[in-house]
Amino acid sequence: MSLRLRSVSLALLFPALVLGWWEWESRQGAGHAYAFAPLEQVARSLVEMLLDGRLLLHAGASLQRALTALLIGGSIGIATGIAMGLWRPFDRTAGPIVTTMRQVPILGWLPLVALWFGNGDGAKLLLVSLSAFYPTVLNTQKGMQAVEGKLAEVGRLYGFTRLQSLRLIAWPSALPLVFTGISQALAFAWIATIGVELLFSATAGLGTEMMAAQVAARTDVVLVCVACVGVMGFALNQLFALLRARLLRWQPAPGN
Amino acid sequence: MTDPRHLREPAGTTGPSRTGAVRITGLSKRYAMSGKSMTVLDDINLSIRPGEFVSIVGPSGCGKSTLLRLIVGLDTDYDGEIRLDDTRVAGTGLERGLVFQDHRLFPWMTVSKNVEVALLKQKLPKERRERLIAEHLALVGLSDFGEAYPHQLSGGMAQRAAIARALVNEPRVLALDEPLGALDALTRVKVQAELQRIWMEAGTTMIMVTHDVDEALFLGDRVVVMSPRPGRIARVVDVDLPHPRDRASPLLHRLKDEILGELTREPREEDGTLVSFPARTRS
Repeated sequence: MSLRLRSVSLALLFPALVLGWWEWESRQGAGHAYAFAPLEQVARSLVEMLLDGRLLLHAGASLQRALTALLIGGSIGIATGIAMGLWRPFDRTAGPIVTTMRQVPILGWLPLVALWFGNGDGAKLLLVSLSAFYPTVLNTQKGMQAVEGKLAEVGRLYGFTRLQSLRLIAWPSALPLVFTGISQALAFAWIATIGVELLFSATAGLGTEMMAAQVAARTDVVLVCVACVGVMGFALNQLFALLRARLLRWQPAPGN
Repeated sequence: MTDPRHLREPAGTTGPSRTGAVRITGLSKRYAMSGKSMTVLDDINLSIRPGEFVSIVGPSGCGKSTLLRLIVGLDTDYDGEIRLDDTRVAGTGLERGLVFQDHRLFPWMTVSKNVEVALLKQKLPKERRERLIAEHLALVGLSDFGEAYPHQLSGGMAQRAAIARALVNEPRVLALDEPLGALDALTRVKVQAELQRIWMEAGTTMIMVTHDVDEALFLGDRVVVMSPRPGRIARVVDVDLPHPRDRASPLLHRLKDEILGELTREPREEDGTLVSFPARTRS
């Protein structure tokens, strides 16, 4: 118990120091108070945004966007990865394309995507989906190729059909890497969501609200949004780690 | 419905109606290695009676594991003939089982699910399938571990689970490729006794490859001694002792010295001829 208390207080030590320094900066004159909004004012904005439902609206919009894109990009990525893992000619063809495209940062596609699809929700979804696609396709492909020949032999021994080998041997043995892909995709999709919201005009979203607040010289609101993005990203990551541990409970604990 | 195979007849009274006879004639196996042809098995001739336990010992490179892979049909490229109850072996089949040195259980399935997928091809009704799984988990003493995942089992338990999986199809012959090779000495002795009991209960013909001469003698009705490069049968030793056996039997010790002598001896020209070596004629 006291050990847990100690680790919690250690985790809080650094943020406390930063906040102290922040508060000190905000008291160094009007210019500083603009760049480093006083903590009290940030807190007041937070409460206000919570009460008028603005924070919930924007956070919800961003979350929905990120998860929808994860679903689209992730499932296409997993399907493509399975096909690449199973069918070598397809891997040879699609592999280099995916690797080349991946070198372009998501936001590098922005001018072209804006030109082709405008700057509506569809264009945003496309870019975020793309960010979720890369890690899932690459990890799934790697996972499908990592099937142990020894276990495949067991399938031969018991007369598994090709479909049974895929479902009972290749797919489950690829699962740990598939999950690694999804958890990376989740992080990338969340980052990309905020990115496209900042750069594309939009109806709602944390990035949109940040941009609007910056234009309105409301550093405190920007800070609330930044904190919200960080906390939500952290929470998503933790939730997914729990889900992964549950679904992969057949794996020996690390270090075992 | 009682399964007659579980009522094992006492040794020596096996009738001709029983299945599980393996007949290997003129079996040779060559590998192409860096352009050169290498003979792994050379003119193997071996006849195994239904329900017999045959141990195969020999140094590394004598092709004993290859022999098992040929019998179960994981490898189909060979000269000569392997017959099970007069049917020529072609490819894998549920009537021939194999237990590997590593248990090779699917780590993502529970023990009973691992046993269940072995039955997939048989398309049995659910109750029959579940009864077979329960019976075979009981046979290997893992009734309480059906819901455990392989990583939660000890090495000996995992290997017993693998044996249950291999036996659930009630194969006529079970090949065991150093099944206890990865276990520590104490566990090994325990699982040997278990394996003896399982064999006596199931009545399946078993062919076991091992490095351990004690193990080969403790379990085998006969011990096939192989010599390497090319893999040949150097000698076949009858172990004329009823099961269950006592490890301390003087006969086992005498035969052990005999076999170790054979294994450590310098290669001889006339290697490869099948020499039957009934222990009881030794003085």
